[in-house]
Amino acid sequence: MLEVDDRTPPLLVHEGLGFRLEEFPLGTRVVYPPEPQPTVPDVDEAILEALLHPVDSEPLPALLKAGMRLTIAFDDLSLPLPTMRPPDIRGRIIEHVLELAAQAGVDDVELVAANALHRRMTPAELRHIVGERVFRSFHPSGKLYNFDAEDRANLAHLGHTDKGEDVEISKRAAESDLLVYVNVNLVAMDGGHKSVGIGLASYKSLRHHHNAKTMVHSRSFMDHKHSEMHSSAWRIGRLIKDHVKVFQIETTLDNNVFPKPYEFMMKREWEWTRRDQATALGMRRGLGLMPQKLRHRTFHDVRSAYGLTGINAGEVEAVHDRTLRKVHQQQRVEVQGQTDVAVFGIPYVGPYNVNSWMNPILATCVGLGYFFNSYLGSPIVRQGGVAILYHPLDEGFSTLHHPSYVDFYDEVLAESTDPAVIGEKYEQQFATDPWYVHLYRTSNAYHGVHPFYMWYWAAHAMDHLGDVIWVGADRKAAARLGFRAASTLRDALEMASSTVGNDPTITYLHNPPHVLADVR
Amino acid sequence: MSEVSDAPDRAGGAGGVRVRDALAGQHVLLTGVTGFLGEALLQRLLRDVPEVRTSVLVRPRGSTTAASRVATLLGKAIFADTVEAAGGVEALMAARIAVVEGDLTDPPALPTDLDAVVHCAGDVSFDPPVDEGFRANVVGVRELLERIEEASGHGERDVHYLHVSTAYVAGRRRGAVFEEPLDHAVDVDAEVAWGLARRPEVEARSRSVDVLTELGKDAGRDRRRAGPLTTAAAVEEARRTWVKDQLVALGAERARSLGWTDCYTFTKALGERVVEAHATRDPRGRRVTVHRPTIVESALEQPYPGWIEGFKMAEPLILAYGRGELPMFPGGSDTIVDVVPVDHVVASIIACLARPPEPAAPAYVHLSSGHRNPLTFGAVYENVRAYFQAHPFAATPQGHVPLPVWSWSGTASVQRAMSTGERLHRTAERLLSLAPRTDRTTGWIRSLETQGRRLAFLRRYLDVYQEYAQADLRFVDDAAVALRDGLHPDDREVFAFDTAVIDWAHYLQEVHCPSVTQPVRELDVVRAKRKKVDPAALRTLEPRADGAGGQVAAFFDMDGTLLSSNVVESFLWLRLADLPASRRVGETARLARRLPRIVQADRHDRAAMLREVYREYAGARLEDLEAIVDEHLTAHVLERLAPAAVRRVREHRAAGHTTILITGALRPLTRPVAPLFDHVHAADLAVDDRGRCTGQLAASTVVGESRGALVRELGRSLGLDLAASYAYADSYSDLPLLEAVGRPVAVRPDVPLYQHARTKRWNIVDWTSPETSTRSLDPAGRR
Repeated sequence: MLEVDDRTPPLLVHEGLGFRLEEFPLGTRVVYPPEPQPTVPDVDEAILEALLHPVDSEPLPALLKAGMRLTIAFDDLSLPLPTMRPPDIRGRIIEHVLELAAQAGVDDVELVAANALHRRMTPAELRHIVGERVFRSFHPSGKLYNFDAEDRANLAHLGHTDKGEDVEISKRAAESDLLVYVNVNLVAMDGGHKSVGIGLASYKSLRHHHNAKTMVHSRSFMDHKHSEMHSSAWRIGRLIKDHVKVFQIETTLDNNVFPKPYEFMMKREWEWTRRDQATALGMRRGLGLMPQKLRHRTFHDVRSAYGLTGINAGEVEAVHDRTLRKVHQQQRVEVQGQTDVAVFGIPYVGPYNVNSWMNPILATCVGLGYFFNSYLGSPIVRQGGVAILYHPLDEGFSTLHHPSYVDFYDEVLAESTDPAVIGEKYEQQFATDPWYVHLYRTSNAYHGVHPFYMWYWAAHAMDHLGDVIWVGADRKAAARLGFRAASTLRDALEMASSTVGNDPTITYLHNPPHVLADVR
Repeated sequence: MSEVSDAPDRAGGAGGVRVRDALAGQHVLLTGVTGFLGEALLQRLLRDVPEVRTSVLVRPRGSTTAASRVATLLGKAIFADTVEAAGGVEALMAARIAVVEGDLTDPPALPTDLDAVVHCAGDVSFDPPVDEGFRANVVGVRELLERIEEASGHGERDVHYLHVSTAYVAGRRRGAVFEEPLDHAVDVDAEVAWGLARRPEVEARSRSVDVLTELGKDAGRDRRRAGPLTTAAAVEEARRTWVKDQLVALGAERARSLGWTDCYTFTKALGERVVEAHATRDPRGRRVTVHRPTIVESALEQPYPGWIEGFKMAEPLILAYGRGELPMFPGGSDTIVDVVPVDHVVASIIACLARPPEPAAPAYVHLSSGHRNPLTFGAVYENVRAYFQAHPFAATPQGHVPLPVWSWSGTASVQRAMSTGERLHRTAERLLSLAPRTDRTTGWIRSLETQGRRLAFLRRYLDVYQEYAQADLRFVDDAAVALRDGLHPDDREVFAFDTAVIDWAHYLQEVHCPSVTQPVRELDVVRAKRKKVDPAALRTLEPRADGAGGQVAAFFDMDGTLLSSNVVESFLWLRLADLPASRRVGETARLARRLPRIVQADRHDRAAMLREVYREYAGARLEDLEAIVDEHLTAHVLERLAPAAVRRVREHRAAGHTTILITGALRPLTRPVAPLFDHVHAADLAVDDRGRCTGQLAASTVVGESRGALVRELGRSLGLDLAASYAYADSYSDLPLLEAVGRPVAVRPDVPLYQHARTKRWNIVDWTSPETSTRSLDPAGRR
């Protein structure tokens, strides 16, 4: 936490495939992420320790028996962000689990990526997560695959929760003797009952909590006890527990997101060395000269050297409690009181554009869905306040990964930007469209309904905020999203003054790395 | 020249002739009432001379009878009062308008109780093909006069024939022109015979080897790719245009050789000779008036200030000036431009009818302004400029267009500037047709097209109007003044035609310019509203309500239409995906060397190019190719899909249409998009008995004209309604495909297709895939 005074240097603000050095008005509060937490000294030892001494559960070897049916599910490429430098922690854990399974004589093993309605990963992407050895052993025989939420024959309907929510998940997972789920808990909303209950679920099940109404009442997603979405997931998870034994493995990482030469991005600007300053300036100049494709490659080639700060295994809820403590240690920052204006810099990557393009809908989701919701207690910005977001909104769409997004943008948003209205009118049509279903199942496309979910993520923010202004954004794109664009922070504040007056309090959430604002 | 007589039985008392009295009970036949002048004349006669009966000679058009054309005419706003007073259109027609159905080239028998005939029909184009000019302006007049002779019992009944000519029959004379017969010794019959004989002769010449070869060279340059039938159609069209141009040129040349400006004034002048011959056809003689207006423009007062129908001579120039598109003018600022308002012309014609001349002594009347109230080009320029300064056209997104400042530097320099502009344009066009299609070149194609249209417009007006712009003619209108003075003072007000009273600043700035710019302004408003929607948007598809007439289909081309890629590129990727990384570099280099030849082949003949490309597959196992496609190229193809194109395909499906993909690409490449289509026609590689590709195709590729043939064949076999079907393609070589259906759409077209689509008023859309599509075959594979 820092208050901008006249000695404060310009601060780094991410904006897509680039960044700015912005001079904030005096008195602006800057919320920095905490320092990286200490990591475990020996990763393999920590993994084994967790598997052999789980929380509220028998040790994993005791759960493994010859002739049993074992399914290992794992988080897809949306976690962590940026992608982890190999070897990926999930692969290392899976290797240990497989070894224990082999020792127990288990040979009916399948590995399924819990991608729900996310796009299918390419073989190369799968290989990256599970590692070369596992990939070679399981992928050619079809035992390592992406979950297909539209494969009706391979879904199991487990019943309804007491609130009438359908519970429909992967049939293989539901009918396994043991389901091991390997998580990367990047932020507080990941893991828990969300892992199986959402990651392996179909649209029929997801629609109960992925909708505008539920999302508006999730305050916030980072606080599962106050999140309607999580409550629903918890109900679903408890019902799943009655059908299948789930052995949950959750991992927490430190926040070393930027490797060399980008590490200056994680430092506080007033601690920058000459060298950091030179790198920042040089990089800005260099990025300015690069064509977009090259900038894209520069950023998306970043692989982070995360350290493992903790690993817990066992019963879902008990594990998740411990995980949350770790995540909070790494990300929680106390913030005294709300602010009139919150400033967020949207970086180049979000959960849904790994190896792809950050289209305007995704940028909105990252800004108003994730960054805005990164709070405990009450939102960083007051009711009726203003969010100022930085992103050029000019990356366009990947027709390979986001085909339904293009139509959502061109046709749905052109008509209305109200999450409730568009959900009511168009969600079904997009969710059941045979072409989108075909692309989701056979190519690498997000499900037809996915752009609606992005928009719902932002529903709480749209409901709460008085105005949303994008700095440096394409005006047309911002207008299509129902927002306004400004070329500089000064202009944005000028525009915001009609909502929050001439002398608003301003808070800049210096993210990434992730920061969770505990607003008192 | 003869004095206007005072026919005793029709004259008014002291103080002059009263028109209504003079014409009471008369029966007047009018020709050309569907034209600007005729319509105004009919309106005035019906409204202000209620005791006159009229007959109108009207040609049926298509399935519309002459009577219903007249009924439609009377439905116009300017007739509203008269129609209402008569109790409806039918009542008015029954009481006062007899319709004589017939064509002036072969006029029908006329009523036998006529008192006067006003002939104001005629070809008003300045540059008609020579035979049409003669037929309309000489032969037509002669025929009409014959019918009048027959109807009047060869002079038994006294019929006054009023011939509307033009003041510009004076041709290239200079200085004062008087109201008298033209002084020339042209042999009318010989010229008519010559003029009418030109068409068969030119038609014959157009079929000669020399001409056809020359036309083929031009028309075939871009079109060869589309196939011989398309080329043939283009050449035939070019031949027809050539015939017309030749006939126009012959007429203009002959006219100039005899001292006239163009074929129009030349044939009109000969027409006057025919009329004069009629006046003195026997000793009894006939009553004849030759009425010569100058340039007829919008009304000063009647039926309302500014009334005008269609665009006449000056309007396109005024509009072009207002849009900033008329940078120069070929005339001198002190040259007189002789303009008269249409209501003055009409009033003077009615006055002439009221005061017929003596038989055998034709009366000549100029209706002109230049003699007593001259208006110069300089004054027109000042007034039009002042008008647009006060009332500019709606601003473009770039702001208001600056109004050009004319330097009056003379015809020669204007001509020079034009020629330079045209040369530059041709060069730019040539260059652009060679450039690859990108966003930038597409933009250039468009602006070039606009510029081309402007240049063509300037060229046309320069050629046609420059004679008039330089004509230093003064049309003396003493007879018209005398005619007016002979009217009763009241009628001088009702039938006002004293051009000396016109205040030109008022007329141009308050009457004429507002009137002619009105439609443009209305259109601007509509356009501004429409801008909120995508201007290039296609109409939304509705499922056919009737269900009759067969199934509607939508044909899609793949490369460049559905995908922002082409066969060459796809092929390159297909090859590269197959190779280890170490060899990719070499292969790329090898292909780069061959690329010019492939592109050259594409330009010349698409089928040849495809064959060239497919030879590269020789020896590859078909199975392997398909595996590569499934593994790598699905993503490659889907990444390059144009979202709008996919949306359109899906829209067609939703509307219940049959969707058909026609491509010269290999079938495996179509697999990712195959679910969108009911039928896919792609190239299949021939395979030998070991499953290896021979480098040949199993069947010839579907390109150029075979696409058109395929569409027709499918239409037959699937029972499609091709006239209601759609086709989408991007290249001129797809022309046969597009032309085979009733609703073609050009997608991001190349230069020749763009031009073709513009002329045919086809829809043009700009479907592109996002620029962002990554080229990496393996996005996760880096690092």
